[in-house]
Parts: sequence; C-alpha cells; structure tokens
Amino acid sequence: MPSRPNRVLEEVAANPLRAGLPEEGITSPCSAVFFGASGDLFKRMLLPAVYSMHLRGILPTAFALVGFARTPYDDAAFREYCRKQLDLFMPQDKKPQGALWEDFAKRISYVTADFSDKRHFIALKERLAQNDAAFGTAGNHLFYLATPPPVFPEIIKHLKEAGLEKDANGWTRIVVEKPFGTDLESARKLQAAIEAVFPENEIYRIDHYLGKEPVQDIIALRFANTIFEPIWNRNYVQNIQITSAESLGVEDRGGYYDSAGALRDMIQNHVINLLALVAMEAPISSHADDIRNEKYKVLSAIQPPAHSDVWSLSARGQYGPGTIDGAPVIGYRQEHDVAPDSNTETFAAVKLFVESWRWAGVPFYLRSGKRLPRKVSEIAVTFKPIPHRFYGEATDRIEPNVLVIKIEPDEGISMRFEAKVPGPKEHIRSVFMDFNYGTGFGVVSPPAYERLIADAIQGDQTLFTRWDAVERAWEIVTPILEVWQHTKDFTFPNYAAGSQGPQSAQQLFPDWRRL
Amino acid sequence: MSFGLVLKELDERASERGGVHVATMTIVVFFDDASIGDLARDRIHTLAAKHPSRVILFDGTQSDALHHVEGEDWIELGARGSNAEVLRGALNALRMPDAPVILLWIASGVGDDDRFCELSRDARTVVYNSSLVDAGNAALRQLVEYVGRHPELPIADIAYLRLAPWQESVAILFDGEESSELLDVTRVEIACGSDPEALYLLGWLASRLDWKPASEDVLAAPSGKQIAFAIRREGEPRRIARVALTATHSSFVAEIDSRGETINLSVSGSRAKPPRLRAINNPGVAALVERAILTSHNDRVFQASLAAAGAILAFGTPSP
Repeated sequence: MPSRPNRVLEEVAANPLRAGLPEEGITSPCSAVFFGASGDLFKRMLLPAVYSMHLRGILPTAFALVGFARTPYDDAAFREYCRKQLDLFMPQDKKPQGALWEDFAKRISYVTADFSDKRHFIALKERLAQNDAAFGTAGNHLFYLATPPPVFPEIIKHLKEAGLEKDANGWTRIVVEKPFGTDLESARKLQAAIEAVFPENEIYRIDHYLGKEPVQDIIALRFANTIFEPIWNRNYVQNIQITSAESLGVEDRGGYYDSAGALRDMIQNHVINLLALVAMEAPISSHADDIRNEKYKVLSAIQPPAHSDVWSLSARGQYGPGTIDGAPVIGYRQEHDVAPDSNTETFAAVKLFVESWRWAGVPFYLRSGKRLPRKVSEIAVTFKPIPHRFYGEATDRIEPNVLVIKIEPDEGISMRFEAKVPGPKEHIRSVFMDFNYGTGFGVVSPPAYERLIADAIQGDQTLFTRWDAVERAWEIVTPILEVWQHTKDFTFPNYAAGSQGPQSAQQLFPDWRRL
Repeated sequence: MSFGLVLKELDERASERGGVHVATMTIVVFFDDASIGDLARDRIHTLAAKHPSRVILFDGTQSDALHHVEGEDWIELGARGSNAEVLRGALNALRMPDAPVILLWIASGVGDDDRFCELSRDARTVVYNSSLVDAGNAALRQLVEYVGRHPELPIADIAYLRLAPWQESVAILFDGEESSELLDVTRVEIACGSDPEALYLLGWLASRLDWKPASEDVLAAPSGKQIAFAIRREGEPRRIARVALTATHSSFVAEIDSRGETINLSVSGSRAKPPRLRAINNPGVAALVERAILTSHNDRVFQASLAAAGAILAFGTPSP
C-alpha cells in the first residue's frame, strides 16, 4: 500500500533511531491553518480528526492549529469553541479532558479574518512565526481550505501577497476540499489561481472517499493476489458497474445541491476515481506518482461522449415524493432551498468505455443517486457467461460470476458463483462466497479524514487527486453536463423516493444490480 | 488426552451453523499458572473477537482428562502431565487446516521445555512474554539463549512490543538537527519497573547506534567514546518510567507523567526546547499480540535489540 515518501526516508537516515520503527507517528513539525474554522466541515470532521490523531499519538509533538474565519473569536474563545465541538462530536471515551486536552488546547489559536483583507493574512503570518518559535513548528505550514469553494482563489491570492506561499525554513502545502470547480472551465480557473502560487507537489486535492479503507483495498485486492489479475480484462469481464447510492435526500444542502446535481457531486469525482482504481494497470511501485500516473492513463483512455451520443450513454432522474424505510418523504422540488421547477438531477447514470488493450469493448456503468432504497457504494465486476453449457438448455439458468467490492455500508468482498443443488437432478443455482471486513478483521477503520490529514502532513500525495486526473474527469462529464443543462427535462420528477431510480436508467442498462 | 470427543463436539457445532467458518488462524495458548488463566482467557477472547480464530488453550494446571468446548472455535484442554508429543498431536488434530498457527507461550522455561519446542515448530509466530513471571531478567536470558540456538524461530516478545511508544518518544527527541547529539551521548539512564523492558530499550539504543558493551555498565561507540549506563528499578512492573540520555552539552529526557497517560519530553542545555508531550497509548496485551502477529515475524529491529540486550547481559547483570 502507499508507502511514505522519500522525505521520511531522509529523516530516518538522519536519525538512526527511526530506522525500522513503525511509521505511525508523524515526524514532521507543522502548523495547520484551517480556513473556514467556524464552519460545519471543521467542527464535524476536521477538528475531531486532528484531536483523535493527537490522542493516538500520531500528530507531531511540534504541532499547532490555527483557525482562520470570519466569526470573531479571540484565542481563548476559539479554544472553548473547539472544546465544545469536541464534546459534541467525539465519542465518550475521547472527550477533551486532562493533560492531553490541555496540551492540545495551548496549541490552538485563531485569527478573525475577512478573506478579502490582506492585513488578516499578514496577521496570520505573524501568528505562524509565533508558533514556530513557541512550538517548534519549523516553518512547516499546512493550509487547509475548508471554506465554500468560491472563496478559494481569494485566499490563495492573499496567501501569496502576504508572503505565505513559501517559507524559507520549511515546507508549505495546501489542501483543497472538493468540489474542485463546478465545471471544466471553473476547475481550470481555480487550478490557474492555485498553480500561480503553489506547485503541484504542494497541492493536495482532497476527496475523502479515497481515504476510506475499502477504496484503498481495491489496490490490495487486485495487486496483492494472483487470482484476479489474469481475468481482469476484456476476455473475461462482461461489464463493470459502479454504484454510489444514498437513501438520504439533500438534507440541509439544497442550495448547494441545486446548483450541482448528482453528476457533479458524485460521478465526476468519487465514482470516476473508483473507476480509475478498478481499471488501472499495476503501478511499478506504491509511490504516489506511480499510482497516480496509472489512474490518469485510465481516464485519458476514456473518450468523452459526443454531444449527439449523450442520451444513449446516460440517464438522469429527479426524485419525487415516496417512501424510505416505510416513512413518507417529500420530493426534491419540495426540499428547502430547491427551486420548485428545478431541472437538477438527483440521479445520474453513465455508460463509459476505457479504450485500451485491456478494456476494449467492456462497458463501465456508473450511477449515483439520492433517495434510492438504501445507502450502498460498490463495484460489481460481472464476468462473461460460460462458453458451453454441457448441462443442456433444459437445465436452470446459469448466472454469470460476479465479484462485488463493497465499499459501504458492509465493507467487504462477495463472489457469486454457480453450484449444484444437492439431489439427483442437475439443478444449478447461484451461491455466494462473502468476505466481510468486520468479521475478517474485527477492526474499525480510522475515519478517512485522519488518514488524509496525516498523509498531507507527511507529504504523501497518493490518496490525493492530481490536477491532470481532475481535469480529465471534468472533460469526460462535460458533454453530458452541457446537454443536460440545455435540455429541460419535463418528466422530472421521474422516480419516486425509495424506488430503483428512473426508467431511463433501465433503458440505458437493464441489468443494474438491485439496490 | 483424547481429542475424539472434542472433534465430535466441533463437528456438531459446525453443522449447526451450516458449516460456515470464519476463523482465519489458529491461536494456541499454553499456560501453567492458575493465577493467570482467567487473564489469559480474557485477553485471547479479545484477540479472537478481532481476528476470528480457532483457539486451542492448553491449561497446564488441569488434568489432561478434562476438556471444554465453546462454540465451534474455542477449545480448552487440560495439559497437566501431557508431554510434548501429546500436545503436538492435539494441535495437529484440532488446528484449522490452512490457517497459520500462532503460539502464545504464557509460561517460563522456553529453553528447557520440550513442549515449547514441539508447539513452536509449526507456528508462524511465537509470542512470548519475558517479563510476565517476575521483574528480573532470567526469562530474557533464556530467550536470548534459545534464539541463539534457533535463530530461525519467528518469535516476538511482549516485553519488547510494549516499548513502541517509548521508542517513538526517544526518537522524537533526536529528530532534525538534534540527531547529531546522538554521537555525543555520554550516559544513558533507564528507570523501569522490570528488567526486560529496560534491557530491551537499552539494547534497542545500542543496536541503532552501534554501541557495544565494554563492561557491565559501560558501552562503547564505534568512535571509541564510552557511554555509561544505569538501569534503575522504579515504578510499576512492565512499565518504563524514565529514559534520559545525557550528551556533553544537552540532556534529553522522556518521562511518564504522574497519571501514566502521557510521556513528557524535555531537552535542556544547549539544545533546550519547550517541553513536549505525547499520548502514551499503552496498548493492552491483546493489541500487542496482534502487533506480534501482523509484524514481528520479520522484525529485524527486535532481533537486533534482543541480540544487543543479550550482549549486555553477557557482561553481567546491570545493577537495578
């Protein structure tokens, strides 16, 4: 699996005591600045992740956290705010208390800021210098953009103007939350703004999906076993389905979601990343760029659909009122902050081809949607039918083998194969061979954000998306977005909440796995 | 000892569950002290809950006529009076055929006990605890001798594994520019509640820095520089209390806090730094055994630390 970058090896070489130690702790000192620290993402996900790392002894001992946001706090008030949020969002046995909390708290500070005011970035620079002196953070700065995306370019511009884009003594890295742009053009603009200030090896485009353990295990399944790779190609694979379904609606994200839709929100990033992992060639090493090169090759082998082909290669839907888990739920257009005549899709399905020697002719079906019957993320590899039925046509239907990589909620792997029903007749039926992570390992995977923040501090970009892959993913979905945006769908809402999705998805591919 | 009844019970229970089996390894436990039996059961239950396993527990305090089966994967066999061949026969009959065997030897006497030799023969990992029986270094000496004669033995020692937070903490003290101070260390002091952990920590430092024993309380660096060392018995058994490395112009100290929750790191002298603190995260025995299973069969740092500890012991017993 992804190994630590060479920088860590250099540290090991410098400090002989580090050779052979478990690589659990982060060795690099660091001040982490969270832009948007009074927001939801910070309090629910990022702060608990960082504090949990502190409790597990993973954070560097020379660490400081700086909040940077509009809500006015002084340092003491922000520490108290953090303590309250940790009280709310940490499990009972990890609540903030005792010497460990006190040590963490003294490393927290805050800059009340208007993102458009350069003076506040200069104040941040002074604060970071103070941290370097007080906590030994050595000029290493991690900037985490947890604000709404429209603010990203302004923050980046001011970081440069304040001279924060690099430090004479240490490293600087910037973590950019998804979505990376709202379309190809805006993504390129955002990239231009970032790369004008930061080189690619300092940019960490985060997609927390990639930090999930089962997603990382796709590589292990494929390349730490010998039995799958020989059949992982067009000769044996009939099709590959990648599903990311939710039973939830848009909750309190109606305003954002109505300008995004399922294609932007899920397919362009999470789902296409899964496709890249499942279809890529074996990387020559576990180094970040070797893996990311292979992922990019897959995406570059996918031809974006022509505008004229969009309707035959995609399907879209929007949920209406229905029933989830026996309870009635409202339709999308009745959700808060959603236009009553919204044309935004809450379901998207796409058929793509990877035009390579390995995958020529194998369709990849991707789908994602809200208010589907259950939450499920999975990759299903359906193998070709047997070439010859020696049992004869009169026997039962013989189903193709299916290998399912389950990402959530029940992380694991399932293989469907055919077996003879005991008895004198030659009856055949499908049986399943299941591996469940919870049963096989009995461990709870650490939250994705902990892994990703640790990797960013360590300088390991493996689980972060490189610009060429982001751009290519936008190029793939852009024709679909354009056609959909310019065509009002008068059938919306076209699937009931709790159903399998719109009829058009069945027309695109009648053999979707049932949700 | 008869396994016929045990096998029959296992078959019945397996068929009750439709033959579905989730065990991924066989954990073999041997203990011969009644006072630690319940503790051992508790820890192995925790481990088996995390890594579904068939557990074969040889209870050296019970008659070999007794057996007890729980579910389809928990087997207890009385082993008092059973010789090595009998135990090996039981293991062969009851182990999961394709799953690796992990041996947890919770008894003293690895060196002269045939039962240990027989049970460890097929084990993918052997887990030992050199500080279980007493706070002295006799068990560690036995291990050094045994591994000297059987260098291929894939063994892990809980006493060494529990040092991980201390190794990390001491390493932190010398990250960055401070690493050069390692060449200038003149004295090492380790305070610990039992000898094996202290000797392992000293052995680890010696193996990393290529220090060789020069007398019973002095090590020599490749440059010829001498490093005095002292091991002091202090605090709870099996717990390090303090590690101090003194260089010519600076002192580097890792010390447990009064509540035992954190390791406080301090540097004084010319390299003085603000005090730092790390969560100690003392892993339980089950977690240490898990670490042994996952990582230790090829842990060269452990092997080197054990060898260095053995070399230090060969010069005599460092006075606690």
